[in-house]
Amino acid sequence: MTDAGNTEKARRPMSPRRKRYWIALGLAGVLGGILGAWMQATQDDPSTIGLVLISNAPLTPTFAIGASVIWIVGMIVSLLLYHRAVDDHEERAYLWAGTAAWYTLTLSAPTWWVLARAGLAPPADAMLLFLGALVVNAVVWLWLKYR
Amino acid sequence: MNNKLKVLRAMRNWSQAELADRLDVSRQAVNAIETGKYDPSLPLAFKLARLFDMKIEEIFDDGTEGQGND
Repeated sequence: MTDAGNTEKARRPMSPRRKRYWIALGLAGVLGGILGAWMQATQDDPSTIGLVLISNAPLTPTFAIGASVIWIVGMIVSLLLYHRAVDDHEERAYLWAGTAAWYTLTLSAPTWWVLARAGLAPPADAMLLFLGALVVNAVVWLWLKYR
Repeated sequence: MNNKLKVLRAMRNWSQAELADRLDVSRQAVNAIETGKYDPSLPLAFKLARLFDMKIEEIFDDGTEGQGND
């Protein structure tokens, strides 16, 4: 008996729940890839390759509108599929990860904001705060799901 | 919370992945329950009980058996 069950896993058909799960993750991944590639393609400076997501360089209006629509619609569809597909265990990981990310934001954003207003820190960067919360979310989710 | 899931699964010669498929959950969920890192929801506990044809309290033990309710 193997817990991994690789040989049996290969033969077993995917359940509808697992199918929905991988479709949701695949869709999110593909849309993220499209947005990243499109964003990179709008940049004239080749030195920003790989850094475009954390840059504050101007974007074209066409890209900004297109990316906003893809982001909002794509995220809503992916999340609906994801939440219909996750089991109890992953839902719990998701909820705790979201809570940890929210606490990260509630601790860091006001702190940075008041420090910046007192001239003790550079102006608060919304995307950096978002990225920090996202990293915390990912770490907690991965730890609770795979530990 | 302690449970007999690993023993019950081994008695049926099922892998974690097989049990996960029967419960329609991920293999990580079965592993987390078996190792006591995650207590299943009530619906999932009922699903387990039905699958093994046992009562929930025969599979799970919260360590308070025989202590009474008051």
